[in-house]
Amino acid sequence: MEKSFARNINALDDLFSFLAKFVNEHQLDNSVAFALNLVVEELFVNMVKYHCDNPSPISVSLNKKDGKLVLELIDFNVDPFDITKTDAFDPNQPLEQRKAGGMGIHLVKTVMDDVLYHYDEHERISKIQLIKNI
Amino acid sequence: MFTISMDKNNEIKLTGRLDASQVDKAKEVFSKVETSCVVNFTELEYISSAGLGVLLQAQKLLKDKGYDIKLINLNDHILDIFKWTGFDQLFEIT
Repeated sequence: MEKSFARNINALDDLFSFLAKFVNEHQLDNSVAFALNLVVEELFVNMVKYHCDNPSPISVSLNKKDGKLVLELIDFNVDPFDITKTDAFDPNQPLEQRKAGGMGIHLVKTVMDDVLYHYDEHERISKIQLIKNI
Repeated sequence: MFTISMDKNNEIKLTGRLDASQVDKAKEVFSKVETSCVVNFTELEYISSAGLGVLLQAQKLLKDKGYDIKLINLNDHILDIFKWTGFDQLFEIT
């Protein structure tokens, strides 16, 4: 399944409906469904937040094959941002030192079994591929 | 769908899904909290880092004043998120 979504936080409802359809079709359990919602939201929101003036939609694709859930988020006409090289979040920090930033990517890396990043410099396309063993 | 309400006993009740599109609703209610409170998660199905950010900010502001937020009835998926982010060390959870 693949669909493009407007680069807007208000597109989250459509995005969650798209994920729910995939979950139902493949009869995925609640924990996988929760993880799917969480990681896609975190990455989609980052893409919206960091390229808010970009008119290009964001593409999301989902596949289940050989016991693996494979997700791809593709962002067009953007600068590179390799999430595999970023995880400044420290879950052991005390309250007074805590900041909200970085939690989303930390959660994505915690929930998924593999996170891959590819950037096409010529086309300026970012592709994040996420794999979860199910 | 997400709703948030606060009763006379300072208990805040969350229902539905607290995602990035709903955080303004949550911020509005938490901004009015001026003393210790309990947040009831019984009917909250889902939360993302955006929702955690609201709780974090509210807890920091209240702790500075000598108060705190306690959380009750988190489902297993939400509890996992609190553990993975270390939020289970920032809040009393029962």
